[in-house]
Parts: sequence; C-alpha cells; structure tokens
Amino acid sequence: MKTDCIVKSYRKYREVARIHLKSQLAWRADVAFNMLFTVSRILFANLLWGIIFAGNDVVAGFTFHGMLSYYIISSFLSQIEMSDGISMEITWRIRGGSFTNYMVLPINIEGYFTAMEVGVVLFYIAFDFIAAAVWIFLFRIQFVFTADPFVIACAVLMVLLGLLFMVQLNYFLGILTLKYQEISTFLMIKNNIIALITGSIVPLALFPEALVQAMRWLPFYYVTYLPSMLLVGRCREEALPGLLILAGWCVVMQVLIIFTWNKYRKKYDGVGI
Amino acid sequence: MKNMGKNCRVIKELVRIRFQNLMMFRLGFFGPFFVDGSLFAIQLIVFRAVYANVERIGTWGSGEMIMYIGTFSLLNAVNMVIYFFGVIGLPEKIKKGEMDLYLTKPVSPLLRISFEKINPGSIPLVIMSLCIIGYGIHVSGISLNAGMIGAYIFWLLIMQVLYYEMEVLIRCASFYLVSNARLEQLEEAGLDLCMKLPGIAFYGIYKLIFYCLLPYGIMATLPVQSLIGEMNRRLAAFGIAVVFGFGLITAFVWKNGLKHYNSAGA
Repeated sequence: MKTDCIVKSYRKYREVARIHLKSQLAWRADVAFNMLFTVSRILFANLLWGIIFAGNDVVAGFTFHGMLSYYIISSFLSQIEMSDGISMEITWRIRGGSFTNYMVLPINIEGYFTAMEVGVVLFYIAFDFIAAAVWIFLFRIQFVFTADPFVIACAVLMVLLGLLFMVQLNYFLGILTLKYQEISTFLMIKNNIIALITGSIVPLALFPEALVQAMRWLPFYYVTYLPSMLLVGRCREEALPGLLILAGWCVVMQVLIIFTWNKYRKKYDGVGI
Repeated sequence: MKNMGKNCRVIKELVRIRFQNLMMFRLGFFGPFFVDGSLFAIQLIVFRAVYANVERIGTWGSGEMIMYIGTFSLLNAVNMVIYFFGVIGLPEKIKKGEMDLYLTKPVSPLLRISFEKINPGSIPLVIMSLCIIGYGIHVSGISLNAGMIGAYIFWLLIMQVLYYEMEVLIRCASFYLVSNARLEQLEEAGLDLCMKLPGIAFYGIYKLIFYCLLPYGIMATLPVQSLIGEMNRRLAAFGIAVVFGFGLITAFVWKNGLKHYNSAGA
C-alpha cells in the first residue's frame, strides 16, 4: 500500500518534470541565446586573467589555463542553476492572487517546483555542456580536469545537493512574500550577492584565508565554488566535509520552509496585494 | 533658443508630475539604489580581492580600477536618475500603440519619454559613486589640477550622452522588429562585461567590438584615462567621433522608426 503511494507520488513529480522539459522546446531561441551568452563569462575571464597572467605565472595557486578551466566549470554550473525564477514566480503569484493555482494542485508545492527545476535543468544541461566544449575549443583552453573518480563522484553529488539547496532557498524566499509582501528588490540584491559568494565572479581562493574559512560554514561555498575546484583537481580534502555541511544546510532549510509555510500560509487570501 | 526654453519648461513639468506620482507609489522608491549599489559594491570587493594577489592589471593599479568602478557607477546612476525608466518603456509603447499619445502632443516625443520617469531614488547612488571616485583618487595618489578635473567632467558628460544614445538606439529596434528582447539581452551582456572590465583589457577583435560596435568599453575608460594622464589626441578624437557617430545613427533610426510606426497595437 505504501509502495503504491510512493510510486504514484513519483509518477506525479515525473510528469511535472516531463511537462516542463517539453515546454522548454517552445523557447528554442532562448536556449540558443542562453548558450551564446555564456560566452560573456568566459570572455571576461579570458580578457581579465589574460592581462593579469601576462605579468604573473601563478595567481592564488592557479595557472592561466587552470583559472580558465575553473571559469568554464563554474560558468557551466551557474548556468544549470536556474532556480532564481522560483522565488520571483511565487512572489508575483502571491502578490497577484494567483498562487491559488498551486495550492489547489494535488501535489506538494515545493515538490512541484523541485520537479519543475529538474525538468528545466535536464533540458538545458546538454546545451550548456555543448557551449562549454565550444568555448574550450574557441579560446584554446588547455582544459584542466581531475581524473580521480572519488573526487568526481563527490563533486557530482555536491552539485546535486547544491541545486537542491538553491531550489529550497528560492522557495523559502518566495513564500516569505506571505509575510513581507514586497521582496522583489531583495531578490535582485540576493542574486548579486550569490554571484559573489558562490565564486561565479572570481574564485573565492583570491579572498583572505579568514574570510574563506568563514565561508566554509555557509552553503554557498559548496554550490558552485567547491565542485569547480574539485573538478580542476584542487581542495580534495574538503570534499567529504563539504558534502556533510551542505546536506546539513539542506535539512536546516527544509525545517525553515516547513515552519514558515505553516506559520504564514493562512495570511494568503487569494485576492492579491 | 525659444525652443530650448520651451523644452526646459516641459522637463520641469514632467519632473513635477513624476514627483507627485512617486509620492503616491512610494513602494520600492530606493529599490534601484540598493540593487545597483550592491552591484558596484560587489565590484569593489572583487577587485580588492584580485589586487590582493596582483600588483597591477595592465597599466592600472587598484586606485585606477576603483576610479573606473566609481565612474561606471556614476554613469549608471545618472542614467537611472534621469532617463533609464522612461527609455526602457519605449518598446512596450510601440508594441501597444501607445506612442500615439506622445506623437499628438506639441512636444518632442523622445524628450517626453526620456524625462517623464525620472527616479530620485537613485540620487544616493550618484553620491556613493562620487565617494568611490574620490577614494580611487586617494588610493592612486594622483594630484589633481583644474585642467584634469575639467577634462574628466567633459568626458563624463559626453559618455553620458553615448550611454543615452545606445539605450535609445537599442529600443528603437522595436519600430522594426516584433521583439527586441535579444538586443536588450545583448546590451545587458555588453554592459555587464564592461562594468567589470576596463577598456584597457580589450585587444584585437574585442577592442573593435567594445570600442566601435557596442562602445560600452570606452564609456568609463576614457574619463578615467583623461584623469590619470593616459589620454592622447588620437584617443580623444576617436572618443568624440564615436559619440558623434552614434548620435547620428540614433537620430536617423529614431526618425525613420517614427515613419515605420503604424499606430496599431501588436
């Protein structure tokens, strides 16, 4: 009986993921341009670090090609992390009064958004992979990538946990609209800050050690930065502790979501703000 | 002269109406300040981290880079205060046929669109940018004279014009295309890149793109170069030619676009 229930539940979420995967096909131009614009990060890295490495052989433990490899991987990971739309979607739906559409679904709302994210990521991952390969070829990067299967396995697991954490975070921020009503400005600031603390703009290794040490206790360190570092063959010793810390943060975030939802969902009156 | 006086009165009236409007909808008044302020604060943090590991980027030390970030922030802040929120609404107005309201008024439609949505909430961003520039000057240790300050202000003003021209030009594509979303994406990518990277880092094809085709690469670079003594006659002539050239292109595209406008909502 319980197995039946789990299978049914799995089918529901699989269907949501499948629908969102298929719906991406309607936005073919978006896919092409998203791929094309990943070049801006690689171009930034190539130009900035090109001029810096003209006078230095090694910077913060990176060689020029090691640095560009880091940007290729972190750019790929940042591209597949597309959950920031979740918080915007929830906030606009609550403000517009149409969040009811989600509440009446015979499905857990957070599960719905997670399945949606799975569908979208599955669609984009192949294209982002192709884009990364093209940039490696075009910018003639001597791509640095670890051959250690243990590190690769840890990095993949960390990326999955990181994606889950970001979905949770954005869902949590979205439902805060029930309490604070207008959070879109905060969400835009959040995106700027997250780009910095996940190491998408520059590797966190450039920051002072004390700051990096403090960041190790935060989940953002493990979303893009550490998996990228692991895959370029650095920070091996941080892999297992990183997985544990990130998993811990996922649990904490889930508790926060349940608490916030139970406390504030009654404030939603379905007529908009 | 008479026309100029009339335009000034129109701008004054538009500002007054906008203030009345903002008093009614105070929500998010300082939103753009916090969003863009955080963006440039992060730029400062990033380059501080980079300069903790290297002495110079090209010929620029950390002081020059701080001035660059402050200058870009200032150009962006003035853009946000004066014309950004008006100009970005242009494609929607063309699409919905709302340009009729502007074309039938006895005042330049572009003047009205540009000044009707000023945003005083971004004024703190102007002040913050000036502080960043001042800090950059202090860090770089350059001693200023009136000539240098005058040159810097001149370049700031004409680069602000270039910023405006690019913004209008990209949105004028809506007169000819069903959607200009891709062009806006291109603008965003170009601005994002040049906000982080001064023009001195560009070479070859990249220099051609970001100096001549999407000239975001020169917007903050030339004012800073004029301040630190890296400006020469050739560069100055090039900068003025780019502003003048894009001015002509924008005027042509705008006027021709108005002829294409068929008044029907899409």
